[in-house]
Amino acid sequence: MSTEAVTDPVASPGDGDEHGHDAHAGGHHGPKWLAHHFETPVQQFDTAKLGMWAFLAQELLFFSGLFVAYGVYRSWYPEMFKAAAHQLNKEMGATNTVVLLFSSLTAALAVRAAQVGNRKATGRLILVTIGCACMFLVIKFFEYKHKFEAGLLPGRFYHPHLEHLAAGSPPLPDNTGSFFSIYFMMTGVHGVHVLVGIGVLIWIWIRNNRGDFSKEFWTPVDIVALYWHLVDLVWIYLFPLLYLI
Amino acid sequence: MSSYRTDAHEHVDDGAVHAHISSVPFYVAVFVGLLCLTVATVGQSYVDLGKANLIFVILIATMKASLVVTFFMHLKWDNKFNALIFLSTIFFIGVFFTYTLNDTDKRGELDPDQNVHVWEKTGEEAPGGMAKKEPHAASSAHGTDQAPPAGEHGAAPVQQH
Repeated sequence: MSTEAVTDPVASPGDGDEHGHDAHAGGHHGPKWLAHHFETPVQQFDTAKLGMWAFLAQELLFFSGLFVAYGVYRSWYPEMFKAAAHQLNKEMGATNTVVLLFSSLTAALAVRAAQVGNRKATGRLILVTIGCACMFLVIKFFEYKHKFEAGLLPGRFYHPHLEHLAAGSPPLPDNTGSFFSIYFMMTGVHGVHVLVGIGVLIWIWIRNNRGDFSKEFWTPVDIVALYWHLVDLVWIYLFPLLYLI
Repeated sequence: MSSYRTDAHEHVDDGAVHAHISSVPFYVAVFVGLLCLTVATVGQSYVDLGKANLIFVILIATMKASLVVTFFMHLKWDNKFNALIFLSTIFFIGVFFTYTLNDTDKRGELDPDQNVHVWEKTGEEAPGGMAKKEPHAASSAHGTDQAPPAGEHGAAPVQQH
């Protein structure tokens, strides 16, 4: 760990240099990773977790808007939802569920490895998590590709090509585009969260390699894993609600 | 500042983080539980239980979500205030669902071709439809009216006489 280079992201930017001459610095006797405005490591830890949970609450409320839209339309057009869900690939959806659940396991194990100070294992487990996230997106890409080929698109772009539809499925009503609006919006926004997840996991992997974390300080690993579990949590509901009607 | 520390964390005297660390087999067991529930929900989808389908789907998904939140996300051992934040979020999502569906489920009849709702008796468009119609909210206040020609007035209220 290089001196001065590691500043906590919570600390206000640009105050690093002034600090040496600042009156504040006199009271700062903690480890390098302890931001000067926190009295103790546990105070910093609890603050970070509280902030993250408030953010996750916001994420859930934000997704709930999409779930309510789903609820309203499914309750309005139950038969259409049933017919449209037949066009989704259950096997691919189930595979993606297992991939995400496994990535959640590796994320939880990465936090555990960081807690016990095993830097190598932490790095490896984060890489596995990133790999699963990428695999999820690849599978999702092939699903989207099929939807585009079959013309199963949102709203007024909906123009089904009969030869591409799943065999033996019930006929699709004219307003099936509404289902695919909801499908693309929900899985799309979730997919964006997966992308962001890959980004923050890479950031944590780099910081882990740099030696930022120790048995005493692994808060960022924990926080990022919390985010990743939330992505998994949303998919746990998305999969059966969209694919298994 | 030191009063914050002693009030909130009675077990802390050194100010260090003392987090619960679960064992690897424990995490793997949670994962196996999640896999079993996934198999259950996929298996259930091949059996048509009518209206009970949705109940089973939500039930199994909620069991999975509980496993993730409680153990993977450490809420079981976390500060109870974080659990309170999470549970109150779930509560407000429930309020959101209940009030919205209580509205949208009690509107006029469906006209699936138009994606609008129509009052059964009069055939008029009920509130909440998707299709954009001429703004006749202002004109309907006058009682009898012809629908104004579309596309001339934009979003501005239509003037009569």
